Amino acid sequence: MSEPEDRKVLHADLFTEDPEPRLIAGKSKSSGNWTFPAYLADPVSFQDDVEPTLLPRRGILHSFTIVRRSLPDFPVPFGLGLVDFPEQEVRVMAQVEADDLENDLKLEMEVETIVGIVRKAKDGSDIYSYKFRAIK
Amino acid sequence: MASLRDVYIIGVGQHPCGKFPTKAAHVLGREVTWAAIKDAGIHPRDIEIAFCGHVYQGMGVGQRTLKDIGIVGQPVINVEGACGSGTLSFWEAWRSIAYGQNNLALAWGVENLSKIMSGGPLPLEEDDIEVALGMSMPGLYAMRARRYMDEYGVSAETLAKVVVKSRKHAAMNPIAQFRKETTVEQVMADPMIADPLTRSMCCPIGDSAAATVLVGGDMLNKIKRDKDRLPIKVLGIAAQSGGYSSATGLTCDPSENVTRTSGMAYEHAGLGPKDIDIAEIHDAFAIAELIVAEALGFAKKGEGATLIEEEKSNYDGDIAINPSGGLLSRGHPVGATGILQTVEIVNQLRGEATGYQVPNPKIGLIETMGGAQPAMDGITCVVSILGK
Repeated sequence: MSEPEDRKVLHADLFTEDPEPRLIAGKSKSSGNWTFPAYLADPVSFQDDVEPTLLPRRGILHSFTIVRRSLPDFPVPFGLGLVDFPEQEVRVMAQVEADDLENDLKLEMEVETIVGIVRKAKDGSDIYSYKFRAIK
Repeated sequence: MASLRDVYIIGVGQHPCGKFPTKAAHVLGREVTWAAIKDAGIHPRDIEIAFCGHVYQGMGVGQRTLKDIGIVGQPVINVEGACGSGTLSFWEAWRSIAYGQNNLALAWGVENLSKIMSGGPLPLEEDDIEVALGMSMPGLYAMRARRYMDEYGVSAETLAKVVVKSRKHAAMNPIAQFRKETTVEQVMADPMIADPLTRSMCCPIGDSAAATVLVGGDMLNKIKRDKDRLPIKVLGIAAQSGGYSSATGLTCDPSENVTRTSGMAYEHAGLGPKDIDIAEIHDAFAIAELIVAEALGFAKKGEGATLIEEEKSNYDGDIAINPSGGLLSRGHPVGATGILQTVEIVNQLRGEATGYQVPNPKIGLIETMGGAQPAMDGITCVVSILGK
């Protein structure tokens, strides 16, 4: 990515920043259950053998909205979505980008993990983190 | 469940909902706690324990409130459970009596939001990952709405009709924040907050407080009261924290929590959804009235809209849902909401809801849902069932 190295990044521990970023979830070695983010223990088996494990880059858009009014520091409008990773039985909430928010976002469409601007800092600079992008 | 004492509500008090930026939480609180004590006809010093539900009102607000009406020394517990804080305080008061620790308890809820914000979505906990990335309550409910509308073929106009009904009810409620009736066209033309929710499909920012006095059934005729108010019995009650939605979060549906909690309350009361005449439910956003009505068993899954379309949930319908106007129109001063709902049901069961009295209700239900967490079905849910 071309952004300066001192850019502000939120929750950098939850995603990889390679050209094809992926979310870092947790997977229990014994039960195989996933959570995002990684919990201290698997909530089903209560085994504390959770290891950082990458989710697939692509997920399915379960639902979304276009937020028109939000808290300060979030320029509106922006897309907000619930993205399913069915094989891992994980759902992730994050912002969703599209060229045309009004028309490009559809339920059950494929989205991919990206890193982009999610909000403003108090000094007006951009803050980056993981988000999703609609795949046409 | 172990053998429990019967618990009755013998006094209530409430403050109008709206913007009262000059009234601190303890000022709102002392007015309603005093009103509830007077309504019960008891001496203030007979209160053995008190619970104050709030979210944003700071340290020791319960103690600061009761100091102003001469109630000091007794245990005062401040209770926080997001938007369920008020009914969580009520549940604590019920518990202290039902399990025999106390005879007489006070439970109130209070919030002054206009002191901390002028509008927009409620400030949430920035330590939550999703909040830091842009989640807000309107955004979350908007996503629920979009999915629900797609799955069950419900239109935005139906959501608008929820608001129309809500405003119609509130127009007759003297403490409601919004008392002007509206139309589907007006609701649809409001500014969009988070698609498909327009501004009037979202509850307002506001301030209020409400209080209840509870007593053990065996003490009803022993405790000194200078009034003979109709006691309202707590027939069933349950409180639950959010659970994992389908273990790993594939549904992210708060109605699971409502179903679970109401199931426990129904079992406690020995009643079911068909026995309920009147209900105050947590319609923080228009979509919530549909999915919560279904979760409570008032309609089949996906058929909550029929209650609205066929006007079955009007105050004179098959089951009167939110005769107060609900959170959308009476108002949603978060920590106060659950007790406002409870006071509304008490007033209706007493036959004292002048101007908007539901015809002869015998059993009423209160449902309060607090907070949101991805992968969980909410933070707090409390359901109580009252009867006369």
